[in-house]
This record gives sequence, C-alpha cells and structure tokens, in this order.
Amino acid sequence: MTEFTKPTPAMASARTANEPLPEAGRSAGTPHLGMTSRQAWVTMALAVLILIPSMYGFVGKFVEFVHIYRGASGGEFAIAPILNYLLASAGFFCMLLWAAWNGMFRDVERPKVEFLENERLLDRDVRT
Amino acid sequence: MTSGSQATPAATVPDHPAHEDLVDEKIILCYYVAALTFLTVSMLAGLLVALQLVHWNVLRGIELLSPGRWRMIHTNAIAYGFLANAFLGTLHWVVPRLTFHKVLSKPLSWFIFVTWQVIVGLTALGIILGPTFQDQPWLLELAKQWRLPMNLGAQGLEWGETPFWIDPVALLGLLLVAVNFMVPIGKSKGPMYVTLWYFMAAFVWTFLTYAMGNLLPEYVVAGTSAGAIGGLFIHDLVGLFVTPLGWGLMYYFVPILLKRPIWSHGLSLVGFWGLAFFYPLQGIHHFLYTPIPMFLQYGAVISTIAVELVVATVVINFFGTLGKKGSEFFTNLPIRYFYTGMVFYFITCFQCALQVTLTFQKLIHFTDWVVGHAHLVMFGVFSLWLFGIMTYLFPRLLGRPWYSRTLCEYHYWLSSVSLFVMFLDLTLAGVFQGWYWASLQPWDASTDGSQPFWITRVFAGLGMFAGLLCFLANLWMTWRGAEAAERSSGRVAAATA
Repeated sequence: MTEFTKPTPAMASARTANEPLPEAGRSAGTPHLGMTSRQAWVTMALAVLILIPSMYGFVGKFVEFVHIYRGASGGEFAIAPILNYLLASAGFFCMLLWAAWNGMFRDVERPKVEFLENERLLDRDVRT
Repeated sequence: MTSGSQATPAATVPDHPAHEDLVDEKIILCYYVAALTFLTVSMLAGLLVALQLVHWNVLRGIELLSPGRWRMIHTNAIAYGFLANAFLGTLHWVVPRLTFHKVLSKPLSWFIFVTWQVIVGLTALGIILGPTFQDQPWLLELAKQWRLPMNLGAQGLEWGETPFWIDPVALLGLLLVAVNFMVPIGKSKGPMYVTLWYFMAAFVWTFLTYAMGNLLPEYVVAGTSAGAIGGLFIHDLVGLFVTPLGWGLMYYFVPILLKRPIWSHGLSLVGFWGLAFFYPLQGIHHFLYTPIPMFLQYGAVISTIAVELVVATVVINFFGTLGKKGSEFFTNLPIRYFYTGMVFYFITCFQCALQVTLTFQKLIHFTDWVVGHAHLVMFGVFSLWLFGIMTYLFPRLLGRPWYSRTLCEYHYWLSSVSLFVMFLDLTLAGVFQGWYWASLQPWDASTDGSQPFWITRVFAGLGMFAGLLCFLANLWMTWRGAEAAERSSGRVAAATA
C-alpha cells in the first residue's frame, strides 16, 4: 500500500495558486482560517449553552449513580441505563480531553478550508 | 473501476494520491444496489401493512406473509438493509478522500459487504420462518438439550428483532467496519474535520448500542430495567448510529456541492460534542408513565428538550453556509434533497421536544403520531439525504450523466411531498386516536375513526413508492448507457453535480 502525506495548507495553496479558491468571503489566493466576530459570538454563546449543561448532566448522572449505589429506593431499576450512559460518556469525556491536549481545537477553522483544497486536488486529476 | 472517468497519472501531483488509488468504486456500487434492493422490499412490506389496516390484505391466509412479520421486515430492512448499506457504501467514498488513506483492507471490505448482506437476509428469514419453525417438536428438543432461548424468530425488542443467533455475527461485522475505517482516520494528521469526528463516534456508538440493546435484555437484565434498556436502544439507534453518519456526510457533501466551506467549523464541533454528551441520556423518554423511577424520566425529558440547542447549531451552520447561494436549492438537486432533509430534521426535533413532555404523552402515546414521527426522521431526513448523495454519486460512479433529469425531479417531488402528506396525515390520526381513547370510547370506534387517515396513508405510500420506481428506472437506463432523454445532457449533469 502506498502511503501518502496529507498536504499542509501551504502546500495546497502553492499547488492551486492559479485556481480560484472556494468561496469563503476572503481575498483571492489567501485561505481565510479565522472566524468573523459574528461567527465567534454565535459559537461561544452556543458552546456555553450546550457544553456547560451537558457537563452538568454528566456530573448529575454520576451523582445519581452514587446515590443508587448507596441504596436509594428504586435504584436498581436505574443502574443499567445509568451505567450505560456513564460508560459511553466517560469514553467521550476522555476523548474530549485527549483532543484538547493534542491541539485539535487550535486553529479550529483550518480543517474546513484544508478539506476543500484536498477535494479539489483529488478531482483535478480526474477529467470527467 | 475508473468509472468512465479518465484519470491522468497520479504523478501529476506526486505527493498526493489519485482518487482511483484511494476509492474502490465497485464496492460502492454494490452497496448501493443492495441498499436499493432492501429499500424496495421494505417499501413493499410497508404497503402490505398499510393495506392490511384498510381491510384489504392481499395476502390474507398466508401465514409466512402475515402483516405482523412483514411489519418487522419493513423496519429492519430500512435500518439494516437500506440505511446501513447506503451509509457503508458512501463511507468507502468519503473516508479515503478525507484522510488520503485507503481503508485498512480491500478484501476485508468485500468480506464485510458479503457478511452484511447475509446478516440482513438471515434476519429476514428468521423473522419470517422463525415463528413457524420454533414450535416444531425436534426444535423444542434441541433447544432443551442445548439450553437455547426459544425465540428463534424475532427477538422481542423494537428495532432489535434480529434473531438472537445472528447478534454475535452482526456485532463482529460492526467491529470489522469500525477497524476498517478507523485505521485510515487514525493515520490522518492534524486537527480533524468535523465529519471524521462524527464518523469515529458512530463506529464506537453503533457497536456499543447494538451490543447493549440486543444482549443486555436477552441475557442480563429483565423487567423494567430491560424496558429502560429497550428505550435507550430504540433512540440510540437513531441518534448514535444514523444521526452521526448522516450529519457527518452532510458536513462533507454540502460544502463540496456549494463550493464553499462550512459557515463555522467551531460551531459544528460544539454540535458534535453536545450530541456526544446529551444524546445518550434520552432513551428513557419512550417509557414515560412507567415504573421506571421518575428522576430518570424527568432527566430524559430535560435532556431531550436541551438537545434542541444542539440541533440549532447544526441548522444555523448549514443555513449560514447556504447564505446567498439560496438559488442552489432550486437548481442543484442533491442540495435540494439535503436542505429538504434538514428542514424535516428541524421539524422532527422540534416535534421531539414537545412530544417528550408528560402532557403530550398523555395524548399521543401508542398512537399513529409516533409512526408519523418515525417516518419523518427515517425517510424524510436520512433517506432523502441518501437519495441526494446517490443522485450526486451515481453519475460519477457510472461515468455518465443521469438518463433523465425529469425522472430525477419526479423522484424528489414524489418522495418529499408524499412523505410530508404521510407525516401530516399520521400526526393528525394520532391526535384523533388519542382523543378517542381519552374519551373512553370502545377500541373499535378509534380504529373505525382512523380509516380515512389510513386510506390517505396508503396513497401517500404509493406516491413514495412511485418515486422510488422513477429512481430505479432512471438508474437502469443510465447504467445500461441509454442516450440521455433530454436533448441537453449538460443540463442533466449540471443539475446533479
């Protein structure tokens, strides 16, 4: 199997200097990797609205689980679904930490431009 | 297969792979053919059940083709036959192109393809033949000797009717799918595009969801706990298998077709992580007013309403991406499929937020409202998206434009309008049925009162099936290389690419 190196944005830009870039509200020839202030505000607002309550939910379920373990009435009904949720969510919580640690959220808008450049590279070699 | 596309040597740009080195187009075609075959079977089964409800069962007296069994064929063929096959085929296109790495193994891909068709076929056989065979004396003796469960046919779990003896094979298949696609994803470097996050989650979630739903109630938990697991399974199958794959594909295809990046990649990641933490909480909302502790029921209600915020991120992002390119909705057929599905998705999620409340549940529980909701999400959203993807990819896979743009249009309009009629009809039927029951009238009064709705449903189903026939006829003519029906084949190509 031939292994290929994924091109960096700089490589992609260099190769496609003479081609029009995908429309992204930016000056021609320069990939726009940042956010507009409106995008940043909407993203931040929704992040606060979604991620904080979901973390609260995660912790809440864990607390419930502890109460049930200590013998709260009717608890045995809930153990299976809660355990199921905790197992699935704990895995994703670890993945979230891993992703943050490994810089997956730095320069967060870059992948959307890079992916379109890669698509264009693949299609450029194919004449339909 | 180079699909009729003439490829220049990969050496043109030496450090990136050529499409034909990455993508096995033949397996995608095979998956799509299998998917459309199961879709045809499923829709025919749905029509049979719809006819039964209007007292016109054309197969009356044939035990093997009784409506109870065909209903399970209808749901299983859609979930595991159509959606799973179509998703797997599309993944063979998307994952290698996104990661620049081939799937782990081509022979493994073909092994999975064959195994999956055997699994779906055996599930159908188990559902149809199992109930007939399982009271045979020799089988009873065998089961007693080997201490096997007696439900050789359908397992007693909604959406999980796959007979128990197929479950381990299906799980192995799902594990192999995850390995085959996770390896190329693992090889890609740097921050990942949101599509790959969704796909990774789907590979893990689908395996876990299937194991939880099919094994725990069968072997580990019983009674109310098993009911709670069943609720999680039904909902997680939609939210943790179909939804991440569907949205992952939308984040891939929409920017390509609109030729512009997604509005905000950061927002798409917020949506993804919101789904990851909110969604698994919801399943219990299928069992409101049951002996399951109320704190679990309330938790499910609140998290279901909260997930609307996650839905809002996705809808804002995609309509932000469409932006001033709104005319694409009218001219570009795949985009029209995608955005129609998104509107239906918003409706279905909005409906979700209302119908999980205890107040709504009093009225609509067990009614056709739920059936309308299920059709809206499975056909109106995910099937329409897959039709859009197929409309875009088939010309590329076959190397020629669609035979007829008109048939493509018929497919879209018949599918979307008929589905919407069916959704409205069943939603209204659900409200009527709820009030019949609340007013304590005899059961027959509610079924008699449902007849106009059920008759309308038959015609809506016929419309959807007619749309599928247009698609199949168009595909047949395109595949065999018939001359495009329209004078300008360029118009056909432009509308579907």
